[in-house]
Amino acid sequence: MPPQSRPTGERRPRAMVIDRAWRGLGPGLEPLSGPGGAPLTRTVKLIVLPLVVRPVLRPELAADFLDPEDAAHLETLIRGSGERLDATARWFTLLKRTRRALGIVAGNPQDLYFQRCFELATEHGAPSAGAEAVARAALEEVADAAGGRTVEALKDHLADAARRSRLDAELATAWGSRRPSPAGAASVALAAEALEACGARPGPERNSQAFTSMVEGAHGSLLGRALWAHAGGVWGRDDLPGHLGLTAHQVPPRPEVGRSASTATLPAPLDRTLFERLFTVLQSSAHRDELPMVPELVRREVGRSCAPLGLYDESLRVAVVLGGRLAVGLDPLGGGGESAPGRTAAHRAVNGRWQREASVLRARRMTVSPRPDPEGGVLDALAEDLRTPWAAYMRRLWVRLHGRDVRDAPLDDLASAWAVLDGVARSVMMDHRARVRSALRALSAPGPGQASEARSA
Amino acid sequence: MPEAGMEVQVTRAGDGTVRIGGEPAGPAFTRAVLDVAGAVLTWPVLGGPGLPTAEVHDAGRAQQWLWALYGERVAAAVHHCAAGEPGGVTVAAEVTALAGGAARLALGHWAARWWPASYVDGMPALEPDVLGLESASLTHQCQQFFDGSGDQTDDCAAELIEEHQAALDPLIHWWRAAPRPTATARRLESVLRLVADAADGAGLDGPALRRLRSALELDPDPGRPAGVPLDLGALFAGPGEYALTAGGPLVAGGRVIARGSGNNDWLRYPPGFVDAAEEAVSWTARAAGAHRRIEVEVVADAAAPAAAPLVAEVRVNGGRADRVPLARREDMWTGRADLDLPGDTVPPGIEVGVLLPGFDPGPGAPGDAAHRDTVRALARRRLADAARPRPYDAYAGPFLAEIAAAARGEDF
Repeated sequence: MPPQSRPTGERRPRAMVIDRAWRGLGPGLEPLSGPGGAPLTRTVKLIVLPLVVRPVLRPELAADFLDPEDAAHLETLIRGSGERLDATARWFTLLKRTRRALGIVAGNPQDLYFQRCFELATEHGAPSAGAEAVARAALEEVADAAGGRTVEALKDHLADAARRSRLDAELATAWGSRRPSPAGAASVALAAEALEACGARPGPERNSQAFTSMVEGAHGSLLGRALWAHAGGVWGRDDLPGHLGLTAHQVPPRPEVGRSASTATLPAPLDRTLFERLFTVLQSSAHRDELPMVPELVRREVGRSCAPLGLYDESLRVAVVLGGRLAVGLDPLGGGGESAPGRTAAHRAVNGRWQREASVLRARRMTVSPRPDPEGGVLDALAEDLRTPWAAYMRRLWVRLHGRDVRDAPLDDLASAWAVLDGVARSVMMDHRARVRSALRALSAPGPGQASEARSA
Repeated sequence: MPEAGMEVQVTRAGDGTVRIGGEPAGPAFTRAVLDVAGAVLTWPVLGGPGLPTAEVHDAGRAQQWLWALYGERVAAAVHHCAAGEPGGVTVAAEVTALAGGAARLALGHWAARWWPASYVDGMPALEPDVLGLESASLTHQCQQFFDGSGDQTDDCAAELIEEHQAALDPLIHWWRAAPRPTATARRLESVLRLVADAADGAGLDGPALRRLRSALELDPDPGRPAGVPLDLGALFAGPGEYALTAGGPLVAGGRVIARGSGNNDWLRYPPGFVDAAEEAVSWTARAAGAHRRIEVEVVADAAAPAAAPLVAEVRVNGGRADRVPLARREDMWTGRADLDLPGDTVPPGIEVGVLLPGFDPGPGAPGDAAHRDTVRALARRRLADAARPRPYDAYAGPFLAEIAAAARGEDF
């Protein structure tokens, strides 16, 4: 970096302050640093910010730009942790070596071990005699965090025929006591109001009257009950089904227990068996330690699968209403014009992002034809998914909300709801890009033996 | 494009995105882009390395690298702009080391998709695995741009290493044989060390990576006599023998009534299918009695698959575009179809293009042919550079794949 002279009293980027302080710590930190000597972004995200700087306790250090005094404070904090960071780096090297020796390959070691290494450094200092055994134990502990909450355990649990028939009877009872109701269209105006508050920079207000009213008025449950009653015109458009592809049927069928699942052939969310619903949850490794144990998971899924929208928590059901209202106005191919009626600030943000992504795809020679092409094969099918983006959007959104419901993580305010809605929009585009990539790869090298990303159990 | 050491314009668009520099111009194949945390960066490939323009959609996330790419004044301007200060500001940008690495990475991604490989033009292809591993090393070098939150597709060092690890052994071999100290030997060592480091951090393992680790631990004998010639052509065997054979006329007989060149629009099909030369698409119209037929011949890319649903698009006198399916015949994609030629127009105005249905975003702009020529000239210049020994420069030197291609090109 060239030396810079700046008038004193100017605010500086926090990232730069961290970078300078980090480089000032001297050698020994290479395992936590990038090739140029800057801390790895994961080091900043997983160690420096949460464990050293701790902006939660020091809100003045939470900003992107810091006053000179705050910058000096941050530097002191990092300098004061130099020895511990050095020990963290040594532990990380040791854990990586031990992991390789044990033949562990799953997961990103930085994500898995960075925080643990800092804890080990705090507890033991640098690794010394007996450190190998400590490292081994730490690796086993991380690997065991699943604590039996695995697809395998679910399979075993549901292998018992008597248990399955008992669950089946419970599902029949719960399904029979639902209360379908055709009313449900009133929520859409409130949803638009909430979405108008999203997407603006910087983010929505924490509290939104529209969002609160929707949760208090149980507008998410209303939608769920309307789907059971096959209500039409829910989204203010007659050409779209009320369920937006959450089921392949007119109304969601009664969930079955199920014994197997495959990511390649998962049905629409509300058509999934208990097994398929929980399979999706157990398959993603994030937050596994926050899940209930398998028997409890299954017991609660019986009631959940018969609840409106297959979710217990009202704020999550309301997020389905918001997501639906957003999804029907999405325009990834950019043909519909931004002034189309019903577009909110949230629509502009997501459509803008998708169109930016489309220009990246053009520059990377990974296009799909914007107009339908009967000879377009797999690529045309991918473009068709973009022309009806609500199906892919709702599917992903439901899975994410269901995952939150299972681990009791409601959406407390509009800002958190928007973070989920926005994140789903990003994932849908990432999915599209991955599919285009693999379709093009298959076209340039035809033949058997394509690697399949699908997983099954 | 804002030039290093120059002033850049920071403006805020209606949807809240912040732009640094102007709108990218020119067809898609003249732009190198990088998808980073909170922004998309764009360099014009024809303009030489320098600072990119940026479209910042999440200023908060972009703050992790803005200062390191453009300097802290620009970072502060983006911060203020994102907070809603209207109008644009002009700020002095700084030259940073990160900018060089990022420009090179973006160009690597560009070359993987748009390198104008052509038998007709004598432009050798770049070995995709060698280019992929160098891009992986550059991705690792540019790690500050990525935040691991899973929405930046260019945050893909581990994926690139897994996909292209077939080139690891040949690169180790090349490194061991390369005379030193030379720029190429240093470049090879730097790429291999970065790949090993990235693989280690991401927890990748496998026989080839283990061989890499031990090769790097046992640094090759520095006293080894230089000049042991290494056959780069054999090390990176291209897609095989390529003798352009047109295979003779498709139809016996028939009177040729017109022939011409078609339009080779790179935007309309993916890489690796069609030879990039302007003259790669040609057509012949014949008459046999009252019958009119057109034959289309498209020179295939040397690495093209044996079959693909490519079609030619044929338009007579500005009329409706008809598709003619193409099939692989030797080194050509060929197809023919009956032609509905109005008898009174002589010669008929026939336009022929080639495209992949489902991929084709529609024809490019009329001026694209000139841009394609400029890209070919750029590639030629880079290969000529790659063939010359030059001092080591971490950012401006040729890609390893270009050095290998230049060596192979001599017996092309």
